[in-house]
Order: sequence, then C-alpha cells, then structure tokens
Amino acid sequence: MASGGNDDVGFKHQSLMNCSSSEMNPLCDKVDGMSMSSSICMYNKPWNSSDPFFGSGWDPIASLSQSESLVGSSVVSHGEFANSHYPLPMENQGIFGTSHFSQYQSNPRFVELVPKLPGFGSGNFSEMVSPMTLPQSSQVANIQGFPSYSLNHDGGIERASTNCTQSREDRQISDGVVGAASNGKCRKRVPESSQNADVERQKDPSGESCDVPKRQDAKKLKTKQESGANSRGKQVAKQVKDGSQTGEGAPKENYIHVRARRGQATNSHSLAERVRREKISERMRFLQELVPGCNKITGKAVMLDEIINYVQSLQRQVEFLSMKLATVNPELNIDLERILSKDILYSRGGSAAVLGIGPAINSSCPFSSGIFPGTIPGIPSTNPQFPPLPPQTVLDNELRNILQMGFDSSPGMDSLGPNGGLKSGL
Amino acid sequence: MDLHNLNPSSLKSRFTTRFLRALTEINARKPIASSSSPREIFQRYRRIKDAADTSMAYSVRSRRTWSKATLWRLRTPSHRRRLASFGRRSSLNKTRTTTTASHRGAVVVQITSRGGGLGVQLEELRELVPGGEAMDLCNLLDETAHYIKCLTTQVQVMRTIANLYSLE
Repeated sequence: MASGGNDDVGFKHQSLMNCSSSEMNPLCDKVDGMSMSSSICMYNKPWNSSDPFFGSGWDPIASLSQSESLVGSSVVSHGEFANSHYPLPMENQGIFGTSHFSQYQSNPRFVELVPKLPGFGSGNFSEMVSPMTLPQSSQVANIQGFPSYSLNHDGGIERASTNCTQSREDRQISDGVVGAASNGKCRKRVPESSQNADVERQKDPSGESCDVPKRQDAKKLKTKQESGANSRGKQVAKQVKDGSQTGEGAPKENYIHVRARRGQATNSHSLAERVRREKISERMRFLQELVPGCNKITGKAVMLDEIINYVQSLQRQVEFLSMKLATVNPELNIDLERILSKDILYSRGGSAAVLGIGPAINSSCPFSSGIFPGTIPGIPSTNPQFPPLPPQTVLDNELRNILQMGFDSSPGMDSLGPNGGLKSGL
Repeated sequence: MDLHNLNPSSLKSRFTTRFLRALTEINARKPIASSSSPREIFQRYRRIKDAADTSMAYSVRSRRTWSKATLWRLRTPSHRRRLASFGRRSSLNKTRTTTTASHRGAVVVQITSRGGGLGVQLEELRELVPGGEAMDLCNLLDETAHYIKCLTTQVQVMRTIANLYSLE
C-alpha cells in the first residue's frame, strides 16, 4: 500500500515503504508530485502513535526543517488536528514555525495550496510555483508571503518577499530569487523600483512563472514610481545584483544586471544599447593598443581608418615577404626546419635584419615597385637582377653603404620594414 | 621576440613549424633554378603565400571566424566559392548592404549607412578581414584584433625566415 502510494505519488525514497500506517495513505493520495526527503519520512513513524507527538515531535521536525530548509507552512493547530487529514500531510512535510498558526488558519484557500509547497529536498520549484500561480492574482500576494515567513524565521527577512526567496538550495529559481529580492527591495526603496523592473532581463524560463505574479505585484503597488523612472542617483554596476539580501551566496545567473547611471534614461532599449556601446568602445581601446601609434587618436572614425591602414599594410607585408621567399632560395637544402625554427623563434628581429637586409634590399628593390602597385608584371623588367648572388659583385658599394647604415641605426632597422625603407631608398 | 624559451605551443611556434614544413615542401617540389621564368616565380609566390595563410589559419584551428573563412577560401575551388559567397552575401547582408558580385575581384557594394557615419569604414574592414561580411561591429572588432595579432606574428616569422635564407 505504501509502495502503491509511492508509485502514484512518485516518491523518491524507499523509506516510505516502511510507513505502514493507514494514516499514510491519505497522505500519499493527497500529496501529488512531491518529493520528500528521506529524513522526513523517517519521522513519519512516531506520528502514528499519539497526540503527545506534538510536544515531543516538533523538535526533531524543527531541527530537521532547519537543516533541510523546507517550506514550512503550518496549518495545524493543536485543536484542529482531528478535523481533517490535512494536518498530517502538513506535518509530514516538515512543518515548523508554530508561531504562524494563526495566520494560516484564517485563509482556508491557503490550506489547500500549502500541501503543494513543501517537499524540497531535491524538488523542482517550478512545479511548486505553477500551482501557486493558478489562483487569482489577488490571492497570490498573500500566499507568496507566507512561506517566506516560515522559512526565513532564522534568515531574518522581515519584508514580505515572495516565496522565491526560500530556495537556498535550489539554484534553479535563483533568477527568480534575485528578481524577488529586487522587487522586495522596491517596496522599501521606492525610487529604484521601476529601474529594477526594467533592467532585469530574465532568460530562465523557470523563473518566469515566478516573475509574473511579482510583476503584477510591483505594478500594483507602485504605479506612481513608474512615471518617475528617470532615475535618482545610483552607481553603475554591471555586476550580479546582490543575493546577499536574501542570504544566498552568488546565484548562478546567465544575464548581466545593469544599473542606470545618474541622469540617464532607463529604458530597457537604451540600456541595452549602452551596454553594446561600451563593449564596442572597450574593443576599440584594445585595438588602439595593438595598432602602433594610435595613442593620441580619439574618435571611432579616425581609429577605424588607422586600423584599416594597418591591416592593409600587414597584408601587403605578407605578400611581399612571400614574394621574397619565392625568389631567395636557400642554397642548402638540408633539414632547415630544425635549424631555422630555433633560430626564428629565438632570434632577435633587429640583429637578423641588420645583417640580412643588405642583400635583401638589393634583391627586393626591384620588385618593391612591382608589388606595391599590386601588379606582378613588374617582375619581368627586373628579372636579370633576381638571382641574388651575381649582382652582389656589382652592388658591393651599395652593400657597404647599406650595412653601415644598418649598423648605425640597428634598432631602427626593424621599423623601416620593407615598406618604409625601400620607399625611402627608391 | 624574446630570447627566452618560448612556449612550444604558442601561436608563433605553431605557425613557424607548419610554415617551414610547407616551405621545404614547396622548395623540394620545384627547386629554384637560376633561370626561372617570372611565371614560375609568380606561381611559387602564390603557393608560398597560400601556405603562409593556411598555416596561420591552421594554427588558430578555426576557433575564429577569420581562420575558418581563410581555410574555406583556400580549399574550395573558385567557381563553387563564387556561388556560395553570392548566396551567403545576399542573405546575410540584406539589412546592411546590397551587393552585386559581378566578378570575384570587382564587387560593387552599395552602402546604406546604418548609423554613425561609420558605414564606409566598416565595409572596408569587413572586406579586409576574411569572413567579416556577416558579423556585427562588436564581433568584427574582436576578429580584427585577433587577426592583427596573427598577422604581426606571421610577418615577423616570415621576415626572419627570409633574412636567414638570404644570409645563407
């Protein structure tokens, strides 16, 4: 029977099988879609026995619930224990907070809904929330208020924040929590409210159902502040908003909270645009560091011009160097890879350029004029000079001059590059 | 370039090894004769340039859009590429530009300035950075930064190689 109840209800724990009391059956039937933690189930046994259970049984339940942080919504009063079978299910799910009895009694509607609240352990909050959103929205505010009271009696939240705050363990509703916190904050700190409502972009669907009643709440409570949206002062923080209000650690969120700056529009569109603009300007700054000589430039257009020029020049350099490699052939065809790779990786640009640039300039002079206009047919006119070795005897004087120039201004050689040096040489 | 032991898996070392391998292979395939025609030299130049671009894009491993575009450009033959790029451009650039690709080299682009007057430069940048046609400004700047970094590495390595070659 208990096993049947397990199958029906979908309880996760085998310990329910141990509960062989007849009283457990109505419990199992009533509670649908609940998952109970094992330690709760273990406490079912003493409840079968007697009424004095209440006196003795609350302590384990209370301590249990504190460790498990269940939703406590206690509908049971001592007097009404005999009335319906509801109380048992309530207790089974770890009801605590006996001080809240009186509140719950007044709301019969709430009694129905309560059984569906508790039973976290590893439960899914969205399943719980959706039955909560079914009743009329007017009820929602009240209903949402209660569990948080019972939960956070140790957490110390005085505000009637929504039930989303209770899931310290359940990260799925963390988005909703922060939203709840912010809306809760809204009730006290009125000027920020509309900003918060606008600013948060909730992408997590599990938080959606939680959001809807909250938004309705927020809108009902503060219609005035919506109009005064153009903000009073706040600091900008592109940070995760503090879940510290709710006593949580940093919840896992997949969106960025942006606060509106002082004196700026808080329209969600403009905020998104501002984020985008800041990203773009951050990248432009990074590019400014990459491109040499762009420190003084301000303004996107000029910066982009510089970037374009630089990319073009780099691409031309690659072409030029590959042309050079096509012509300047290594005489030794041994395993150059090993030799050269180390040299390339470890060598300094300056020293190699100084020594190598002498003959390189000579051999590359002819086709510098060919390449930069982008026309390869310039080569045939300079063909006879291509093989590097023969012309060197003719150009020895020039070589000496160039090498001298190279030795004199060795750090500057690299900066000359094929573009600069050759053009000046021409 | 620093003189200490470089990270063996850095971009520069990856590119260097790959490029050297390709270079030696090209040289082995057709060694330079002293009387090479300009056409041969031109072919060689094209091959070396492609080898350089490919090895650089390979070292980046298509983590980036530009490297993917480069590899794709160097692999697919031009006729297939023209068809594909035409379709791609017309579908992706509806909002920004209207392009009529008449010839691979001469693409007529009518720029509809979107906002801020940066339209012309943005289009130029898009043409420069491979694979930049389909990206918004934010990602385009990212790609440009990475592309510039890789280009500078490429130029450094190639220049050193050329210098060492010409020294021998």
